[in-house]
Amino acid sequence: MDEKAQLIKLSEENHEPSWLTKRREKAQEQISQLAMPKMEHFHPGDVDFANKSETICTNDASSENVTEDFETNLIQFGTDTIQTNLSPEMANKGVVLVDLFEAFRDLPDFMRKYFMTEVIKGDENKLNAEHLAYLNSGILLYIPKNVVLDDPIEVKLIQDSTKKLNWYQHLLIVADSNSSCRFLQHLTTVGEESNIANMMVEIIAKPGSHVEFSSVEELSKKTTFYFDRHANIEKDAHVEWAVGLMNSCDTLGEIDSELVGEGSYANSQLVSVTSDKQKYFINNRVTNRGPHSTGLINQRGVLLDQSKLIFNGIGQIVHGAHGSKADQQNRVLMMSPDARGDANPLLLIDENDVIAAHAASVGPVDPVQMNYLMSRGIPYDQAQRLVIRGFLGAVLDAVPDKDVRQKMIDILERKLINGQKYQAN
Amino acid sequence: MSVLEIKDLHVEVKDDEKKKMKEILKGVNLTLKTGEIHAIMGPNGTGKSTLSETIMGNPHYHVTQGDILLNGESILSMPVDERARKGLFLAMQYPAEVPGVTNAEFLRTTINVRRPKNDPMPITEFLKELDKNLDLLDMNEAMTERYLNEGFSGGEKKRNEILQLLMIKPQFAILDEIDSGLDIDALKVVARGVNAMRGDNFGSLIITHYQRLLNYIVPDVVHVMMGGRVVKDGGPELAKRLENEGYAGLRDELGLHIKLVDED
Repeated sequence: MDEKAQLIKLSEENHEPSWLTKRREKAQEQISQLAMPKMEHFHPGDVDFANKSETICTNDASSENVTEDFETNLIQFGTDTIQTNLSPEMANKGVVLVDLFEAFRDLPDFMRKYFMTEVIKGDENKLNAEHLAYLNSGILLYIPKNVVLDDPIEVKLIQDSTKKLNWYQHLLIVADSNSSCRFLQHLTTVGEESNIANMMVEIIAKPGSHVEFSSVEELSKKTTFYFDRHANIEKDAHVEWAVGLMNSCDTLGEIDSELVGEGSYANSQLVSVTSDKQKYFINNRVTNRGPHSTGLINQRGVLLDQSKLIFNGIGQIVHGAHGSKADQQNRVLMMSPDARGDANPLLLIDENDVIAAHAASVGPVDPVQMNYLMSRGIPYDQAQRLVIRGFLGAVLDAVPDKDVRQKMIDILERKLINGQKYQAN
Repeated sequence: MSVLEIKDLHVEVKDDEKKKMKEILKGVNLTLKTGEIHAIMGPNGTGKSTLSETIMGNPHYHVTQGDILLNGESILSMPVDERARKGLFLAMQYPAEVPGVTNAEFLRTTINVRRPKNDPMPITEFLKELDKNLDLLDMNEAMTERYLNEGFSGGEKKRNEILQLLMIKPQFAILDEIDSGLDIDALKVVARGVNAMRGDNFGSLIITHYQRLLNYIVPDVVHVMMGGRVVKDGGPELAKRLENEGYAGLRDELGLHIKLVDED
């Protein structure tokens, strides 16, 4: 049986709606015709996505070594959702947090309207087409109108690399009018196989809604990571991203905030630490379409060892978005003479009545700060870690949950200690 | 008793404009023992801050001749952090700002790097000590949760330097123009902090332009520096005389041919 026939069979066995089967089939046909994602300073081949792993899951997941954890609202291991656990408060208010394939079965019309239609499309590039064709894992979060959640929704996503299977994982968040939620995800890998993680996030922020998305990421070295995270932000809606890229793998990714509504707001914050021979290519894009919209970008990267990091910050203000504001900072700290880092701010402005600013820097650790900390008896390596933490602090502070923030700091600390060992050699 | 000895110290720094080395200290001799407080006075540009930075080990300053000994052991080859752990402390004229690291966390770190790895100071003991010292310096508890020196006023930074002094409890503290930019109330608070450290196990070198600070921290010995050397030693009365007569009078009396920076 060829791959396409296999795909259709699997889709039918999953009781997926026929429109989804058709869309997968079409995407599968488009893969070979589409190009890799386009990005400044990225050349197809810089990250190797030609992976030999299976794309279609034919056997059962082996999730027995994942422990349940009732602090977490949902846990996915590879292609399986192994726990969902909404608080009674959330359930009573009509919040929906389910496995994506359950959503396709139970809410087909809703999914047909929102899934990969208006925010991310399957035919944008080759990797997006692969995502749609081979989709094998995902989550739907729906927050009804006027529902304000005090507690964050926490999700653990565990890549199953105990076998050779690529992971096509999709998160769809629909925040209805005037709702408010905080979402935290934690990405890890179990297993030693080399697989692709092709992960997408779509956020639809309806008028007046408020979404805070935080992500702590520590995928394994053997993973090849592609992510595409888009938000459509409607009138007076508010989206904040706080992303900690602490993965050990090569990464190509884009965060894109579309300020479609008047008075909409996006704050896109990202920190990364690269070590070893890792390569990261990151686009952080905010597009002001609505008048009086505000788009902020703050990216900070720390480079260790022989790693490479490209930060592109793209602030676009389209004609008609009068009274808008775009502000971006892209800062890179070089910890090793063998590392290569680049911070590229791009401002594309097609409207006169706006405020736009950008800042970029690439440099070493501040010697004045180092001397001060060391003059209090703190050894060089430890002082360096404190300065780096300070450098990343502007973004780490934006992580709403104190435990998650601490987790990011702990992971950061571990990565830095390993990187410093490299420098000493 | 501990001893800090500075012997025939010559120091040069790189002149960023002219791209060549310039000698600032031209043979400084000075001995400081625990239990003593010394003041160093002198006109602008005479090398007082160079002396304090060199003792602490700022890599920007290059020793070309002479030695610095702590209890008979040369510290010249030690990096700044090692000197600090050996018992030296420098309250800086312009403390650096380190965002992202809270004052409290920083203070705990400075204490724990002086203790064995497996024996950090218990948190309750730390907080008790911190509260006591905050009270002494009229500092608000909220200061400890703020990032290290970030957005602090000049006066807050100086108090924070003294807070560190009280928490770290070094053998020798060099206070580099701790009085600059302080109003009289803040000056008294800072002096109260330093006086609380006074005792057999603590020695201090206080660098100042003005005699005023020495009304509140009365020194045992006063040294006058000019032209990169110590040119006169005396008691507290020497500081009072300089306040009245200025540095030019002393220079002429000693028959020195040194041009003072601010002289017409």
